[in-house]
Amino acid sequence: MSANWQSLRSRLPGSRWAVISVPYLWLLLFFAIPFLIALKISFAKFEMAMPPYSSLLNWEDGFLVLKLRLENYLYLVNDSLYVNAYLSSLKIAVIATGLCLLIGYPMAYVISRMEPATRNIALMLVVLPSWTSFLIRIYAWIGILKQNGLLNNFLLNIGLIDAPLKILYTPAAVYIGIVYAYLPFMVLPLYSNLVKLDRRLLEAAYDLGARPWRAFLAITLPLSKAGIIAGSMLVLIPVVGEFVIPEMLGGPDTLMIGRVLWQEFFNNRDWPVASAVAIVMLIILIVPILIFHKSQAKELEGRLA
Amino acid sequence: MSSRRSGSTSTWLVLGLGFFFLYAPILSLIIYSFNENRLVTVWSGFSIKWYGELFRDQQMMKAAWISLQLAFYTAWASVVLGTMAAMVMTRFRSFRGKTLFGGLITAPLVMPEVITGLSMLLMFIALRGLLGIELPLGMTTIWIAHVTFCMAFVAVVISSRLSELDKSLEEAAMDLGAGPVKVFFVITLPIITPALLSGWLLAFTLSLDDLVISSFVTGPSSTTLPMKVFSSVRMGVSPKINALATLLIAVVSTVGVIGWYLMARAERKRARDLQLAANQ
Amino acid sequence: MASVDADAAGSNGTMVNSAANPPAPSPDRYLVIDTVRKEFDGFVAVDDVSLTIRKGEIFALLGASGCGKSTLLRCLAGFETPTAGRIELEGQSLIGLPPYERRINMMFQSYALFPHMTVEQNIAFGLKQDGMAKAAMRARVDEMLSLVQMNRFAKRKPHQLSGGQQQRVALARSLAKSPKMLLLDEPMGALDKKLRSQMQLELVNIIEKLGVTCVMVTHDQEEAMTMAHRIAIMEQGRIRQCAKPDEIYEQPNCRYTAGFIGSVNLFEGRIDKDEKDFVTIRTSAFPDPIYVAHGVTGFEGMEVAMALRPEKLRISKHEPDLKHNKAHGSIEDIAYFGSHSVYHVRLDGGCKVMCNFVNMKRWDSESFTWNDPVWVSWGDLEGVVLSS
Repeated sequence: MSANWQSLRSRLPGSRWAVISVPYLWLLLFFAIPFLIALKISFAKFEMAMPPYSSLLNWEDGFLVLKLRLENYLYLVNDSLYVNAYLSSLKIAVIATGLCLLIGYPMAYVISRMEPATRNIALMLVVLPSWTSFLIRIYAWIGILKQNGLLNNFLLNIGLIDAPLKILYTPAAVYIGIVYAYLPFMVLPLYSNLVKLDRRLLEAAYDLGARPWRAFLAITLPLSKAGIIAGSMLVLIPVVGEFVIPEMLGGPDTLMIGRVLWQEFFNNRDWPVASAVAIVMLIILIVPILIFHKSQAKELEGRLA
Repeated sequence: MSSRRSGSTSTWLVLGLGFFFLYAPILSLIIYSFNENRLVTVWSGFSIKWYGELFRDQQMMKAAWISLQLAFYTAWASVVLGTMAAMVMTRFRSFRGKTLFGGLITAPLVMPEVITGLSMLLMFIALRGLLGIELPLGMTTIWIAHVTFCMAFVAVVISSRLSELDKSLEEAAMDLGAGPVKVFFVITLPIITPALLSGWLLAFTLSLDDLVISSFVTGPSSTTLPMKVFSSVRMGVSPKINALATLLIAVVSTVGVIGWYLMARAERKRARDLQLAANQ
Repeated sequence: MASVDADAAGSNGTMVNSAANPPAPSPDRYLVIDTVRKEFDGFVAVDDVSLTIRKGEIFALLGASGCGKSTLLRCLAGFETPTAGRIELEGQSLIGLPPYERRINMMFQSYALFPHMTVEQNIAFGLKQDGMAKAAMRARVDEMLSLVQMNRFAKRKPHQLSGGQQQRVALARSLAKSPKMLLLDEPMGALDKKLRSQMQLELVNIIEKLGVTCVMVTHDQEEAMTMAHRIAIMEQGRIRQCAKPDEIYEQPNCRYTAGFIGSVNLFEGRIDKDEKDFVTIRTSAFPDPIYVAHGVTGFEGMEVAMALRPEKLRISKHEPDLKHNKAHGSIEDIAYFGSHSVYHVRLDGGCKVMCNFVNMKRWDSESFTWNDPVWVSWGDLEGVVLSS
């Protein structure tokens, strides 16, 4: 950053700090502190009250007693439902991310190689669906995947199957829904990475005897690593906590931790356990979130140096 | 070039399949919104009666009105806060706590909604217990929650524009005697207007779309459109929802196409001006 | 009139290689480019260019940007397919061969080093594509590293190298496969002026040591003159002149080349007297006709231009003792370069000429100043008569 900016800023500390502090305080108050409160409540005990949890600090015989109850966490560890839900969510998220990458990479690659005018249209067509309601796009799949839905009708008509397939309310439907909803989040970062690839590097590889496929593996793929990481994290992390898709397209046995948390909160009204579920999820996701943050920070501040 | 030649068939195959996957569900929604039959997947004739039913559904209309208001106010606040955050990220020299700030601005992009929603609700409740600030659950709390995650998206959109922007423009303005505040309003802001606009629209649609976070922080009287849609979908598939979907898609694609056209026109004009400048 | 080099007939040249009866490949006809044409959407980038390049030669395509030189180079590398024409290397056609099947390697403009690979990985890349054995590859990479004196930097990534070092790596990478031909695209374009002249000589030494045939593209005439054995000047997709550097400079064949290479004073006029051993040319610049002490192919009254390099002009305070080729004027502008000065002299006829003066003694430059009345003059054989 130039000295020009700095000297002027130091002369006007007021506006600088106002610009920093307003969004900073907002995010601290409404995004960071809530996690601390959730952490606190995860150590409390469920009570039939409003709010439905015990307080951690109490006066007992003249002492201020801080009680951190680990029972919620022990409960999560001992009940196989929760462990299974975490594992199943992770599995679904990893597989769905892989599927998004398999479909999204060729799309992003092809779009990045187009003429600028067509490229923008293609990119808009990728993004446009995600501007319409997420809920409604998932809802659309119910009509397609159900027993007498469009897909089964089509497959029966062309004679590929004799009896309708059960797809809706199975893991397959959940995968379809996730890939469908999250594909743009994979394509966009991949595209913006691939479009920056210097085409002369590929020419240099051809020139040195690499056939197109080998040039892709040796040059394009490794150089798009940042885009792959950003796209994968953008899909993986939210999918782990996904609620709407397993709720609408999955069967009752499709176990995902977001759904468990929702039920714990809304059906059982057990806020402390729900908080513990959220905190454990956050701990599981902290490494992917840090990876994502690092790639994002590089993207945002890359040209600042 | 050889790579382009061999790629053309597979190019169209990849894009064709990809776009079919992205658009087939939307098309099916639109087509069956005009279906006379109550059963969503059995076609029995053209009708627009579901649109009529949709507009007669008082609860749905009320929910839509609430959501539109929320989205409108969320978009404005997110653009203001998101722009400030983007300026901090791309233009300000580092300060103590900038790393944390960066984390706070990127985390909402990926944070699972159930975690955000639950934590925020707990915070609103705790605020009441600790500080005695009475924040009734409802529009205000949903608005705060929406602004929090929308400003992160807006910040990304605007930061990427800002980091592309040639800093020497701003430096030139300062060199000519404009203070940082003036430079921002006179130079930076006009240049990033398209990014502000797309940030505004993004925040608007994100807010309009949110189900999970709103469900946590809402109160008894504020049912948003996604919440209403979700509960009616749980009851069973209804062509009314198809009609609603079609209307939403129509609005969004119109706005999208107009926005794209305006941007393409600006781009063409700029290219032409450059050409003219080069020829002179 | 300047003659066109026998084996380098441009589209507008006088000699045409007999395409009907192609002679057997010989070291003199190592690379044959025959009426190559490249069009992009109706725009002709390369317009029927024919060239023959000898084995071991360093050949430069020189021209302003957009003249088609880079397109022609990309046709040789295989990145572009000519719309028409033949390209043959050692008698074998290259048309239709993709770049990865040509034994031609290129050093790219600003090098195109793979940023995610170390110096040795970059150099080994081409060898790896050939499936070379590990040990042999190791040895070859080491050999190339010592050739460009970069052994110490083998493990570095390209962004940790200076511009000159990057260039050496790029050179080593393109030479590692012992290509039949080396292409250089604006080889010095990314270097600053001081480094440029050093690297030019270094590059030529390495290329000549290996004896590899080399075609380079540049817009920098100094670079072409220093490095190349022969230069082809391109303009609007055509070759205007193809000759050795000194021939191009001292005997340009047209007004374009004369103006493109170095600086020149051009005087338009007509042939006044056309004798067997001399001609005179009447111009508006000088009161007396210009005297040229050799015959030219032309006729009396033909429109020609007289090209006179500034260093061929002498400047003096007193009238020189010459019968022809002198004029009186006054100094209007002075450009001081240290080693020499360039005086812009306004002649009494109104025309302005540039005249170099070598500052042989210290403070020589002070002998002339603005508005001084001076004489300019030149020898009878120093000018070139141009008809096109």
